[in-house]
Amino acid sequence: MKALKILLILLLLGGASAATVMYSGIVNVAADEPHSDIVYWLLEETREASIKKSAQHIKVPDLESPELLLMGGADYEYMCSSCHLKPGLEESDMSIGLYPQPPNLSISHETHQHGTDEELARKNFWVIKHGIKASGMPAWGKTHSDERIWAMVAFIKRLPTLTPEQYQVLTAID
Amino acid sequence: MKTNFIKTVGKIALILVPAITLSMNASAHDPKMHAKKAEKADCSKMDHSKMDMKDPVAVAMMKKCMKQSKSSMEKMDHSKMKEMDHSKMKEMDHSKMKEMDHSKMKEMDHSKMKGMDHSKMEKKKNKKANSDDHQNH
Repeated sequence: MKALKILLILLLLGGASAATVMYSGIVNVAADEPHSDIVYWLLEETREASIKKSAQHIKVPDLESPELLLMGGADYEYMCSSCHLKPGLEESDMSIGLYPQPPNLSISHETHQHGTDEELARKNFWVIKHGIKASGMPAWGKTHSDERIWAMVAFIKRLPTLTPEQYQVLTAID
Repeated sequence: MKTNFIKTVGKIALILVPAITLSMNASAHDPKMHAKKAEKADCSKMDHSKMDMKDPVAVAMMKKCMKQSKSSMEKMDHSKMKEMDHSKMKEMDHSKMKEMDHSKMKEMDHSKMKGMDHSKMEKKKNKKANSDDHQNH
């Protein structure tokens, strides 16, 4: 009985402390003030684990079709390039101002950080379709078909190998 | 009373005018960056000799450029074209023509020929030499 009372008091104290932190306004939510290393690590690990688990059963189609590149290229230019950049564009207002900073998809990343090509394709599909909470990444699946999202995944796969001239041709409007 | 009011307005204007002017000039980037134009593919820089036609990127680029050139041809308004001045054309150099391969020619479909006006045709003097004399039809 005594232990229950202590637990109840602790819970009340915890709740009161949380409410004090929440409503006092001492937490800085400004995007130009980065998280502490530990908070950043906690959020990043949580995000990566969540995406990996949610995307694990997604079946990856053939992503080598030229038609997919053309379809995905136009969408990438208008939906993604302002944040995730493109060949010849190293930074933008969005890539500088957003926090967490959106990854630059026009440069190649070491594959061991993200797993195999297939795992990376699954992850990209899931992120494009569902978005990421409180990060600036929208859920494009609400307005775009899976086919169009896979086309973007196919384009992103080839993006780091493209020159600015190739990018221009592939993303231009007919 | 009136002078105090004028002084206050003057002070406010002294602060507001430079503040507004400065804030209007403080743009972080070129506003033109926001105006996204629908660009056409610039196919002039494509180097076909360096293209690997097994590469999906190369195939996609070729498809895009072919589609674009086809659609631009279709959009041409032929009615507004001036009549061609044949007099300025160079004579054809037949010597550079390859020999015609008649074996690959399709047979003529005589059924689709319109009625010929024989009255306007010149009659050849040597009937024997002309084996296809229309008068014999």
